[in-house]
Amino acid sequence: MNTVIILLITFPLVFLLSLLFEGIDRKVHARMQKRIGPPIIQPFYDFVKLFNKERIIPMTASSRIFTTVPIIAAAASILGASIPVASLIAGSNVGGDLIIILYLLTISPIMVMIGGSSSGNPYGAVGFSRKMTMLIAYEVPMLICILSVSVNYTSLAYYDIVLTQVKIGSLLALARPSMAAAAAAFVLCMPAYTETVPFDMSEAKTEIVHGSLVEYGGPYLGLVKLAKSASNFALSFLAVSLFFYTPALLERYFSPELGGAMLLCLVTTLIFMVFTMTVPRTIFARLKIGQAFKFYWLVPLTLSIISVALSILGL
Amino acid sequence: MTEKFDEVKEVKVDYTRLRVPLGPVHPALKEPISLTVTVRREEILDVVIRLGHVHRGIEALAETRNLIQTLYLVERICGICSHSHTTGFVQALEEIGEIELSDRSLHLRSLIFELERMQSHLFLIGIMAYEIGFDTLFMFTWYEREKILDLFEEITGNRIHHSMNTLGGVRWDLSPSFVEKVNCSLNKIEKSAKYIQEVFQDKTVEKRLCGVGVLDYDEARELCVVGPTARGSGVKVDIRKAYPYAAYSELKDDFSVVLRNTADAQARTQVRILELFESINLIRAILEKLPDGPIYKESVIKLMKKIPEGEATSLVEAPRGELLYFVRTNGKEGLWRLNVRTPTIPNVLGLKPMLIGSEIADIPVTVASIDPCMACANRITVVDQDKRETIVTDLKNLRNRGKKQ
Amino acid sequence: MKLGNMLRDALRALLHKPVTVRYLTRAGEMVSVPERYRGKIVYDKEACIGCLLCIRTCPSGVITTTEEKKVSFNISRCVFCAQCAEICPTDAIRLGSDFEIVTSEKEDLIVQ
Ligand code: SF4
Ligand code: SF4
Repeated sequence: MNTVIILLITFPLVFLLSLLFEGIDRKVHARMQKRIGPPIIQPFYDFVKLFNKERIIPMTASSRIFTTVPIIAAAASILGASIPVASLIAGSNVGGDLIIILYLLTISPIMVMIGGSSSGNPYGAVGFSRKMTMLIAYEVPMLICILSVSVNYTSLAYYDIVLTQVKIGSLLALARPSMAAAAAAFVLCMPAYTETVPFDMSEAKTEIVHGSLVEYGGPYLGLVKLAKSASNFALSFLAVSLFFYTPALLERYFSPELGGAMLLCLVTTLIFMVFTMTVPRTIFARLKIGQAFKFYWLVPLTLSIISVALSILGL
Repeated sequence: MTEKFDEVKEVKVDYTRLRVPLGPVHPALKEPISLTVTVRREEILDVVIRLGHVHRGIEALAETRNLIQTLYLVERICGICSHSHTTGFVQALEEIGEIELSDRSLHLRSLIFELERMQSHLFLIGIMAYEIGFDTLFMFTWYEREKILDLFEEITGNRIHHSMNTLGGVRWDLSPSFVEKVNCSLNKIEKSAKYIQEVFQDKTVEKRLCGVGVLDYDEARELCVVGPTARGSGVKVDIRKAYPYAAYSELKDDFSVVLRNTADAQARTQVRILELFESINLIRAILEKLPDGPIYKESVIKLMKKIPEGEATSLVEAPRGELLYFVRTNGKEGLWRLNVRTPTIPNVLGLKPMLIGSEIADIPVTVASIDPCMACANRITVVDQDKRETIVTDLKNLRNRGKKQ
Repeated sequence: MKLGNMLRDALRALLHKPVTVRYLTRAGEMVSVPERYRGKIVYDKEACIGCLLCIRTCPSGVITTTEEKKVSFNISRCVFCAQCAEICPTDAIRLGSDFEIVTSEKEDLIVQ
């Protein structure tokens, strides 16, 4: 019962945090381009604005799928983001293990993809095929990373892995060579998951007009955007707490209160997000789908397989 | 009847093909052009290019105005190369009226010309960066462009439509303090041009530009493409060298024609980046040589009255390539016929061979790499809305129209 | 062939002030314009001698005559080419530095 209440409390928290993080991301991006940029709370304005707009469903769309899909996407990614946050707050495992979280976080891109292709727009179709390719490219290394973690610590429970870091008093990424490889592969998968340049070809604005999002507008677009920023936040938070749980470093000197640990973790998440999303999207050009696919199967996949091999060897 | 029936039967429906409309409104296109692209997965099988979405009737409008009014009208054919358009027009008029220009005004004309070329090239380089999703480079490049626009604002009073040309000269003079300012800005721009050149060798950028939109030498010759598009394919065309106008006959030795042989989007971008340096050299030479003298002749009204009936053609090298003006005056301060051939017309033809066989992801890059200016290129299509048909006027009709008046 | 060429400059830009400026419309806070800037027309009615040369050369039909043999300008059509100022024999027309000319009152755009 207690866990359910905590989970319910985290929903609005995750909502606020993910939009706030997106705002910060946009601001930093703008400042790197020598622009003033939008105010940090711009995503909130956008959200409210989109919800006050007209609902438009294209004639060619199959309207049921088109309208329900954003709701599922937003719900899944907010839930996926809430589980790790709630686990940290409650100090125990809430809701499910890592596989559930990753599964929930994969639902939202798949839902958006389906929605896009149900709109009947050819760009949606191209976006679908590109997104599918990318999904295969990054999901495989990502799952293998998680597999490697579980081989190492014989657990797939999220909070156990966080606790392990606290116990050994160091970051997981620094603990063993196998984990370092896993963390590197995971970090490399981040830009593809969050669909930022150089891997944003599934919604490349100048090529296929935002791909799956092309026909979305009004509240539906608001939900899709919310889903995106929530899952971006969730994935960064997950990566940080799995591999770079910084409060673990301070455990030796003093035991931070729950709020302190949470705050530290969030700050780390923010820095992590800036370096895995904002910086790449500032300094790179968009790749082509073939090039990106090649990259993912050459580098992160190899890294993750190495990581699994190392963990089986017990390193 | 049976024949037809057989024919229908033979048609195989290829479900792997997808027809993607690109434009007339598309975020990658700054101006409306409609490309209907047939793709199989990511590969392009066929392209149909249609122009005519922004036909403005400027040539016809020009026939209803007097020469000075037309001067400001042709300036508005294109925002980016407004000086090229007025130069082309004014040169033709000066040829008809046999007006001699002072050296200083010719040099000032060339100066603005080169500043405009730099501005236009930086514009396109920024667009290229934007098309490949490199927004930061886009912002940085346009920030450099802003410096040139500020120079324009100080010298002529406006950033885009500078209206520098007038009949028999130019309208604003360059005082020594301006010379200093231009020199100062040039140094800054040169430094950042080098930086931009370096960034364009970034690996992700090269991955997107190399081997994209190839238009080989023979095809380029055949389609008569002009400007940087041709020079990127190794065709040596430059009006400034071939038919020097303004002060270019005196500045022949101060610049060279940049050629590249790889014939892809990267080559065309490189040509533009290197031309920035050529322009900087040219401007420095102009500022050094700048002769003294008056900048314009006499009141434009008087000059306009003196222009007899006659016709002339003039060629200038606009930033995008060769720009041709055909002007026929009626001797009563007006025009009988104005015909403009902008560089985009031949360059757009090059799009089809460039696009076929490449990927969807290459379309924006390829289209941008020829630096299209659609609004300039739309002219001789007649759209009859009641009959729902489109007539493309041919040369003969146009000639007849000229004769009638 | 280098990777991440812009990283240094992007990070450096974080420490500097942005180059864009806010668009402020209140008097005194607007960005300054250069001396030769061509803004809203300033018309000196006294100096005008009614020769109507400006009407003949204006490319966009801004200028119309008034009953008292003077001229009036409809700025909403003006393209700020300054041809009228150049041709005027008595310098009755000048292009000022006012660029903030958007208004909801049509009358504000008539200069007499
Ligand atoms: S040109 Fe000058 S003097 Fe002549 S009518 Fe116009 S404003 Fe008056
Ligand atoms: S500035 Fe140009 S458009 Fe405006 S009134 Fe004068 S001549 Fe006409």
